[in-house]
Amino acid sequence: MAKVISKFDFPKLIDQLKKNYDIFAPQSKDGEVIFDSVTDATRVVLDYETTVLPPKIYFLPPEEELFKVTNGKVREIRIEKQFIVFGLNLKDLSAIVQLDQIMDKEPGDFFYRKRRDMSTLIAVSDVEVGVPPGGDLILEKISDSNFRAIATTEKGRKILNLDLFQEKKIEAKAKSKKSLSKLDEMLLDSELLSQAVEWSRENYSQIWEKLGKLCIGCGICTYVCPLCYCTTGEDKISFNKSICSRCRKWDACTLPGFAQIGGGHNFRPTQKERYFNWFYHKFVRAYKEFGQAQCVACGRCQKYCPAGIDIEKVLEEILIEFKKANSKREF
Amino acid sequence: MENPLLPVNLEIEDTKDMSSYLKYLRLKPSSGDFRLNNNNLVFNPGQFAMFGLWGYGESPFGIASSPFETKFMHIVVGRIGNVTGAIHKLKKGQKITYRGPYGNGFPIDFFQGKDLVLVAGGFGIAPIVSLIEYVIAKRKKFKKVYLLYGVETPGDILFKDNFNYWRKSIEVILTVNKPTADWKGAVGLVSKLTKKIKINPGNCAAAMCGSQSMEEALENILRPLGISDRRIFVSVDRKMNCAIGKCQHCTTGDKYVCMEGPIFNYDQIQGNWD
Repeated sequence: MAKVISKFDFPKLIDQLKKNYDIFAPQSKDGEVIFDSVTDATRVVLDYETTVLPPKIYFLPPEEELFKVTNGKVREIRIEKQFIVFGLNLKDLSAIVQLDQIMDKEPGDFFYRKRRDMSTLIAVSDVEVGVPPGGDLILEKISDSNFRAIATTEKGRKILNLDLFQEKKIEAKAKSKKSLSKLDEMLLDSELLSQAVEWSRENYSQIWEKLGKLCIGCGICTYVCPLCYCTTGEDKISFNKSICSRCRKWDACTLPGFAQIGGGHNFRPTQKERYFNWFYHKFVRAYKEFGQAQCVACGRCQKYCPAGIDIEKVLEEILIEFKKANSKREF
Repeated sequence: MENPLLPVNLEIEDTKDMSSYLKYLRLKPSSGDFRLNNNNLVFNPGQFAMFGLWGYGESPFGIASSPFETKFMHIVVGRIGNVTGAIHKLKKGQKITYRGPYGNGFPIDFFQGKDLVLVAGGFGIAPIVSLIEYVIAKRKKFKKVYLLYGVETPGDILFKDNFNYWRKSIEVILTVNKPTADWKGAVGLVSKLTKKIKINPGNCAAAMCGSQSMEEALENILRPLGISDRRIFVSVDRKMNCAIGKCQHCTTGDKYVCMEGPIFNYDQIQGNWD
């Protein structure tokens, strides 16, 4: 027996949930799919490849107010209402699981944690889920119109109590998983990627020379990445100086001033170094810190890079050269 | 859950211009004393903290006072940007925000029982001052201790008022890059200075802070004295924003300067590409 919901009931489900939660879900806009607040539940899109910005925008927003100081009195800013991110795909879901681990590492990030505590994650998958990567509720497509509900937390089980979910005996099975992309396959061996990227800085530097010239330092790859989380603080003051907002905004390690200190010295003065650092963080520093590359192969950075850089191809090239240079070692 | 980004207020108890662009601040908690850590210190010598102003932001500073002192802290602020420019305008009695201390600090346990060479360049003396104060308070636990302090001109020497008191316990060697006519001390961080330092290379350690002159000190003095890179501890300067290992601004190689530093032994960071 399992809890099952018909896809025709999704709008009803969203409308019922809206009574107690703010709902954010993928919707079409100007030819792209984006996460947005739901006003009309029938407009929610579920068969999409990827949204423009990843769902991290709800936990680490592009710009967020942390503290408000009014005439010397400091107030921490917190969101007041529970919310649901509906219609996540499994890649974005596993990115959030990884981001939780990053932001909760001691000393944990207070503001991220508060937002996560207020949120419920509902993922939708059109292929079999296997071991759920995380989240609160996953809706797995088992036939053209029916979805099996897999609750993984108390928050998720609470939603399953709604009448729209019916207890049924199911024979149908979800479609088996899509075949892995090359990048997915490479990510299975984070250790090898870490060694190869580290090796490439000195031993295959021509690729970084080339990419340093190609990269225009716009930062888009980091903004669309579900696992990039650099920020910078910024204080804003009202005209009469009585109110101060301490905000933090997304930053990007590929931007020129990222490692520049007061007085002007820049520890990564060239685009080559900054672009390498983006890879170094994702595949080397991240592996050393958390044992896993910070990439889920969502494809956004490749899709939105104005210079057309494709990280799958870059990593492939580095791995080929690394294996060639180390042909006597077994991997 | 505590919010590590929420600062507290400190009050400016005293302030003085140390030079045209350096300002000294003596700061006390708005109420009570500074809390002690597991080592029974307010901070470990070499740790840094984030000081700032609402409406301007925060900047990292090394703490330049005794780590045993629970009533006040000293910092030296160079006027180089937005936050430091605003701090320079503050007067006695006004408030400044504080959070920290952060990072590791110098390995004071490892230093015990050893000869020490402390090297400071310019206003990199700040974290070295906290180490000097610690060493003087526990003087018997250390063997010979030298402070080698290099600045541009004699007018740039900071903490002059402390020298007489320091000299009772440790050897102070001053050197300038651009001497004035009446300067009688050494010029430059030159190998000649090794003659003034008598240490046992087999049982010694060095602590350094100050960006420009450190390579020179290393090449001309510390290595010729026979101090191995692993025993040379350097305070590393990077951009800091969150100071809690999240924002990524301070990384060098695979290290977070705010969490794993700012003190590294020279071996650890030598050859880092950034």
